[in-house]
Amino acid sequence: MKMKVLMLVVSIAGLLAISSSAIAHHGAAAYDMSKPIVLKDAVITQFAWINPHPLIKADSKNEKGNVQHWTMEMGSTPASQLIGWTRNTLKPGDVVTLYVWQAKSGLTVGRFNKVVFADGKVMRDTQTGADNGGRADTEVGR
Amino acid sequence: MGNRFTRAMVGLAAALVLSSVAMAQTDQSQAKQGNEARSQWKYYPTDRAVGDGGPAPRRDLTGTWAGPGSGAAVPKGTNAQTPTAPPLTPMGQQLYAMNKPIGKYSPAGTNDPHSRYCDPFGFPQNMTNEIRGMTITTLPNRTFILIQYMNVWREIWTDGRALPTDVASGKDGLDPRYNGYSVGHWDDDYTFVVDTTGLDDSTWATKNGYPHSIDAHVQERYHRDAKNDLTLTITMDDPKLYTKPFFLGEEHFRWIPKQQLDDFTCIPSQVQQYLKEMGDPAGFDPNAPPQRR
Repeated sequence: MKMKVLMLVVSIAGLLAISSSAIAHHGAAAYDMSKPIVLKDAVITQFAWINPHPLIKADSKNEKGNVQHWTMEMGSTPASQLIGWTRNTLKPGDVVTLYVWQAKSGLTVGRFNKVVFADGKVMRDTQTGADNGGRADTEVGR
Repeated sequence: MGNRFTRAMVGLAAALVLSSVAMAQTDQSQAKQGNEARSQWKYYPTDRAVGDGGPAPRRDLTGTWAGPGSGAAVPKGTNAQTPTAPPLTPMGQQLYAMNKPIGKYSPAGTNDPHSRYCDPFGFPQNMTNEIRGMTITTLPNRTFILIQYMNVWREIWTDGRALPTDVASGKDGLDPRYNGYSVGHWDDDYTFVVDTTGLDDSTWATKNGYPHSIDAHVQERYHRDAKNDLTLTITMDDPKLYTKPFFLGEEHFRWIPKQQLDDFTCIPSQVQQYLKEMGDPAGFDPNAPPQRR
């Protein structure tokens, strides 16, 4: 038990270390961080595990029933791996709920916040994955 | 009766043998699974050196080190990511005004040649930006620093030679280099000092867009605090562009127990995909006209 607690503390410290550099990479100035857009029953079309940031692509119907093609970026591959992401976490055809901070440009692109899988499991972004847009690994605000 | 007893005993013995074989196979299988779960080829950022590991070895930096952003509980440094420069000369101000760093302009507005094209950081930026891990190794007359990000290696001569003075001067002058020309010496048994000049001036000195000239003189001081701890301080003297020496920062590194680094690099085709599908559509440039919503 003590070992588990120690590992948790060490992991959080590590996440903090990696987060501090990753957040400075692109910043969040391009995104509206006031409230995430919720894409219910979104269908994953591609999960591109690329540098500098992986891209999640998904189709989702808006309130008028029209299909929108979304693209969102998440934390870098080394940072995301620290909280359990792999290149196979999302697959084309997966039906999920996505939360995304939309770009201020108004286009259907944004910074990924979190994904809720069909079984209720939640996975978050490293940098903006908390519900208030802060880091997922702590409750510290952005 | 005798035959029945004999058959029963043989059967019992066979069952014991088979079960013991099965148990052995299960143990081997579990052991194998355990090994597979902890591959010796994989970098685990949560694997950490414990404590300081004892006294630093004398005149020895050899090994693989986790740096800032590696996730390996490396102590926070100062200044290195976005340092504040001393007052710039008029030429320095002119060059600095041309650079639009990604932290301020985002991917759509930056002209950072690395962020948009994966161009080399060059030295000294490659020792402060994305310096998640490195390996230091030595030959009798040289020390090499192998930087994880972008798979870069730097060559530091330790044979007593002086730094060149003829980089980019005259028709026979040496060409400037992305990593410049470096010499090193031990200042004391635990402090290795590296001096570098002859830097390609197409690169930025820092992530936040500060320039450097070819004649910039950069000094790194690697101090091994303990077996598991290394501290690097970097100072740049570039009187053409800055009125005072520019402290580029202090960074800490921790010994990696398995000595295994991760793979992380900038790949031009992936950056182009990222910019086309994400970075440019997302936009943001504080000097640009209002964006449509």
